[in-house]
Amino acid sequence: MDILSNLLMPLLNLELLFLIGAGTFAGIYVGAIPGLSVTMAVSILISFTFSWEVYPALALMIGIYMGGVYGGSRTAILLNIPGAPSAIATALDGFPLAQQGRAGEAIGIVTVVSFIGGFIGIFALGAFAPLLSDFAIGFQPRDFMLLAIMGILLVGSLSGDSLVKGVFAGAFGIAIGAVGMDPLTIQDRFVFGIDELRGGISFVAVMIGLFGVSEALIQMHSIHSPAVRQRVAGIIPSWAKVRKHLPLGLQTSTIGTIVGALPGTGGDIAALMAYDHAKRVTRNPETPFGKGAVEGLVAPETANNAAVGGAFIPMMTLGIPGDAVTAIMIGALFIHGLNPGPMLMIEQPDMFWFIVGSLALANCFMLLFGLTGIRLFVKIVELPRTVLLPVIMVLSIVGAYAINNSLTDVYWMLGFGILGYFMRLYGYPLAPIILGVILSRLLDDNWRRAIISEREDFGAMMMGIFTSPLSLCLFLAVVMILVTNTPWWVRWRARKATGQTVAERQDHD
Amino acid sequence: MDMPPKRRPGELIFNVAIMLASLFLLYSAYGISGFEALSSPGVIPMATTAIMAIAGVFILRDTLRKGRGDQSLRRDILPAVVVVPIVMILGYALLLRPLGFLPTSALFLFILVRFLSRRSWGFCLAVALGTVIVIWAIFRLIFAVLMPQGIVPEGRIVAFITSLF
Repeated sequence: MDILSNLLMPLLNLELLFLIGAGTFAGIYVGAIPGLSVTMAVSILISFTFSWEVYPALALMIGIYMGGVYGGSRTAILLNIPGAPSAIATALDGFPLAQQGRAGEAIGIVTVVSFIGGFIGIFALGAFAPLLSDFAIGFQPRDFMLLAIMGILLVGSLSGDSLVKGVFAGAFGIAIGAVGMDPLTIQDRFVFGIDELRGGISFVAVMIGLFGVSEALIQMHSIHSPAVRQRVAGIIPSWAKVRKHLPLGLQTSTIGTIVGALPGTGGDIAALMAYDHAKRVTRNPETPFGKGAVEGLVAPETANNAAVGGAFIPMMTLGIPGDAVTAIMIGALFIHGLNPGPMLMIEQPDMFWFIVGSLALANCFMLLFGLTGIRLFVKIVELPRTVLLPVIMVLSIVGAYAINNSLTDVYWMLGFGILGYFMRLYGYPLAPIILGVILSRLLDDNWRRAIISEREDFGAMMMGIFTSPLSLCLFLAVVMILVTNTPWWVRWRARKATGQTVAERQDHD
Repeated sequence: MDMPPKRRPGELIFNVAIMLASLFLLYSAYGISGFEALSSPGVIPMATTAIMAIAGVFILRDTLRKGRGDQSLRRDILPAVVVVPIVMILGYALLLRPLGFLPTSALFLFILVRFLSRRSWGFCLAVALGTVIVIWAIFRLIFAVLMPQGIVPEGRIVAFITSLF
C-alpha cells in the first residue's frame, strides 16, 4: 500500500505533476537543441533548486533527464546533428529517412519505441533495485572501493579515444574531490594555504564549467553554420508497424537497461551497442542500414531510454552513478543532506518509489509531447545559436554564483570551463572527471575503512579480495577493463581476427 | 586505411603542462602525510596524482609520436569567437558585484550577441533586455535565487511586484 501511494504521489500532487510535465517538455527541447545537453541543464538546475524541497527538485530533474534523452533524436533525424550523445546512432538512419521526406514517420516511431524502452528500464528499476539493495547491504568497504574504480574506468575507457586519457581524467576528478579539509583527520589536502580551498571545490561549479561553459565554447566554432529546414507530417505510427519492430525493441531495451545499470555507462554506449546488435540480428531490412532502416532507429532509441531506468539502479542501490546525469543527481541528493546507497533504500523506501513513479510519469509525458507540437518544435530548434550560446553562458554564471552566493565559485566554473574546452579539443573525455569528483569521497572512505579493518595490512586486504567471490568478480572486472584497453590486447585481437579470416578462406578454397 | 592522427596546435604545450601540473600535485600530495600509514589522508591523493603523472607521460609520448598537423592556433584552437566570450565572462565575473546582476547581464548579452550575430543594434538590445528580464523573473521570482543587487534597487522592484498580488 505504501509502495502504491508513493508510486502515485507524483500523479496525485499537482505541483509535482506540473514539475515533471514541465521538466519533460523542457528536456525534449534541451536534448534537441544542439549545444544544450541534459547534463548541462541538470547541473545548472542543481544550484537553482538548491532551496527547494528534495521531491520537487528531483521531479524537475527526472523530467528533464527523460525528455532530454528522447529529445536528442529529434535533431538527429531533422538536422543530422545528434542533440545528445545518446542520439549519435539515431542520426545514422534517421537523417536518411528525413531526406526521403519521411521525417514525420521517423519521429513517430522513435517516440513510440522510446516510450516502450523507457518503461522496460523503469520496470527493471522497480523490480531489481530492491533485490540488489538487500544484497548490497552485505557489501564490504573494499567492494564499494572496487565498484567506484570500475565505474570511473569503464566510463574512461568507453567515452574517449584513448584509455590513458580516460584514466587521467578519472584520477584528476578524484584529486579534485579530495581538495579541502580531510573529514576524518581535519588535515588540509591540496589547499596551498588558500582559505577558500579549505571547504573544497564546489562540484556544481566544476560540472557547470565542464558541461556548460566548455560545451558552449566548443559550439562557438560552428556558430555560423546555417539551419536546415525540414517538412514534417504524419507522425503517429500504425500499430502494425510498432508490432513488427517490437521483438527487436524488447531485445535492445534489455541491452539498454543492462548497459545503463553498469556503473559509469549510460545511454550513449547503450544506443551504439543496440545499433550494432540490430545490424547483426536483422536479416533482411526493408532499407539497408545507414540508408534509412527503421530498425536502425528502433534499436538505439529503445536502448537509450531503457538506460535511464537502468542508470538509476546502481545510483539508488549502491550510491554509484550509472552515468553523468545520475552522477549529478547523486550530487543533488548530497546537497539535500541525503546519502544515496543501500541504507537510503532501506531507510527511505518512499523516495525510491517516488523516483520510479516520477520516471514512469515523465515517460508518459514524453509520449504525449513527442507526438504533438512538432511545428513549435521546428521553430524553436531553428533558434540562432548566436543568441542561444550567450544565454547559456549567463545561465552558467548565475548557476555557479547561486550555489553559495560566492564569486569564487564563478571563478572556479570559468577555470574549469576553459580547462574543459582545451581538454575536449585535445581528445580528453570529461565524463570521468565528474564521476571521479562524485566518487572521490566514497573511494577514499572505503579504502581507509577496508585497510583499517585489515590492520593496515595490504596483503591481508588482497587475500580478502581473492577469497570473497563478489570482491574477486569486481577485481577481475577492473583488471579486464584495463587489459582489454591496452594496445597489446587490441593487437592480439586483430591478429586473431585476421588469422580466423585466413583460416575461413582456406576452408572455402 | 585511416590517416595517422595529427598533432593539433598547442596540444604538445597543453600535455606538457598537464604532466608538470600532475607532478606538482603528486609532490603536494606527498606533503600531506607522506608514507606514514596506508590509511592516512594522503594515500588516495598520492595514488591518484601518481596515476595522473604516469598517464601524463604516456599521453605526452603519444603526442610526440603524432606528426604536425596543418591546423593553425588562431583559426582552429583559439579563434576570436572563442577568445572574446572567455574575456567577456571574465569581465562579467569582475563587474557582477559592483554593477549587479541586471545591468551586467544585459551588457554582456548585448555585446556578445552583437559580436556573434552582427545583427542590428536594436535587435541585440531587444534580445539582451528581453532575455535578462525573463531570466530574472524565472530565477529571482520562481527559484528565489539571490543575485548581487548592485546599482538596481531590486528589492524594491520585487516588493512592488508582490504588492500587486
